[in-house]
Amino acid sequence: MNPFLRYLKIILQIIRKDIQVEWRGRQGVPVMLVFSLLVVFLFNFALQLSPDLQAGLAAGLLWVSLAFASTLGLNRSVSLERESSALDGLLLAPADRSAIFFGKSLSNLLFTTLVALVLLPIFSLFYGQNLLNLSLIPIILLGLWAYTSLGTLLAALSIQARTRDVLLPVLLYPLALPILIAAVEASRTVLSGGTMEESRSWILILLACVILFNAAGLMFFETILEE
Amino acid sequence: MKRLPEISPAEINVRGLVKRYHYRPVLNDLSLTINDGDFCVLVGANGAGKTTLLRVLASLVRADAGEIRIGNEIIPSNPRSRSNIGYVGHQPMFYQDLTAAENLRHYARLYQVKGTDQTIAESIQSAGLTGHQDKPVRTFSRGMQQRLSLARALLHQPIVLLFDEPYTGLDQEAARFLDAKLGELHSPGRAILLAAHRPQRLLTIASHIAWLKDGKISQHIPVDSLSQVPELNAYLQEVG
Repeated sequence: MNPFLRYLKIILQIIRKDIQVEWRGRQGVPVMLVFSLLVVFLFNFALQLSPDLQAGLAAGLLWVSLAFASTLGLNRSVSLERESSALDGLLLAPADRSAIFFGKSLSNLLFTTLVALVLLPIFSLFYGQNLLNLSLIPIILLGLWAYTSLGTLLAALSIQARTRDVLLPVLLYPLALPILIAAVEASRTVLSGGTMEESRSWILILLACVILFNAAGLMFFETILEE
Repeated sequence: MKRLPEISPAEINVRGLVKRYHYRPVLNDLSLTINDGDFCVLVGANGAGKTTLLRVLASLVRADAGEIRIGNEIIPSNPRSRSNIGYVGHQPMFYQDLTAAENLRHYARLYQVKGTDQTIAESIQSAGLTGHQDKPVRTFSRGMQQRLSLARALLHQPIVLLFDEPYTGLDQEAARFLDAKLGELHSPGRAILLAAHRPQRLLTIASHIAWLKDGKISQHIPVDSLSQVPELNAYLQEVG
């Protein structure tokens, strides 16, 4: 078999397995969703913002809730592989170990995107903003892809640590700052009636982050995972 | 003309292996050869480095120095060479919410085993788990999980089998099942290395015994020559 096809099949199998485990256990996506909704509710009631202010802050609050939810998903993704040393099973597979990175980061992206799809209409309702805007979709996808790629890389880095549960957010939030800033700015431009062209530079930053963190996963994931 | 695929001999060759943890050498210039058809029991005190050696051979841990050959392949330079290895570790490596069959299917797909459904059915049967294939692994006893681990390690028909303390936590029935399976697996075309803290029950099945001490293999002899090495004999009597 073509080595590239073999590699792709391993990535797809890891995604398929993650979906299957999630479907059986339902321990990841529902928790992410409830948590992100709680963030939306809490900010809405705690800040008691006027409609004008709400419009300005909507993009920021959306990304805060997505980032928190995604971090929960990443922690769950790591603990799943730690349970019964299932990660060793993946490491024993006869393929370049970067396939594990792509499989895990794409399944994390899939779950976080599902949460975003449910969150957007509810968010629109609470903050009086129409987030069901087609121009927002590529920004959300790129932002989440960059965030989950970086998150998967850091989750692998923290997997051996005793303090992994707290280590992941401590490492992830500062490093994800460029992603979050670019995603918030691009979303704000689109939500305030601007065009995609106006948010082009922010979208390019997101694209650069996607390329950078996926290239890092391709090159360093094996080294990160090996003891 | 189409070239026939090269058949790799079932051998493990380790030369000058060094592995340090926090600058402390656990394996120190270790050399070991397990030939085709050998079943070698690796003994040593707790912390001697048995697990580390097996994990290095399985390419789960990177060595600091030395060369490892499994068959014709140098580990870990070619990821595909991992398909020559079957590894049963301390933990079963299963997803607890998935069923036995789903877990095996996952591994069969990772190893890209052909005829997956038939292979899984045969593996389940051979592990004595017929009727349990659709139950989540979390409902399995330690013995059942260990049988399933063995089935998982054999799915892709590896030429080298590595076992790390496989008897830990097994009751008498499960231990007898494992004895029988290991006896079946000990055959030409396969090399077996099994780490055991208490190896007495294996001395009737295994062909060789290797003693890991001070980061090196201090003795590696056929089991029937055990009486000629009083020091090793005394050690085995002591650990029971």
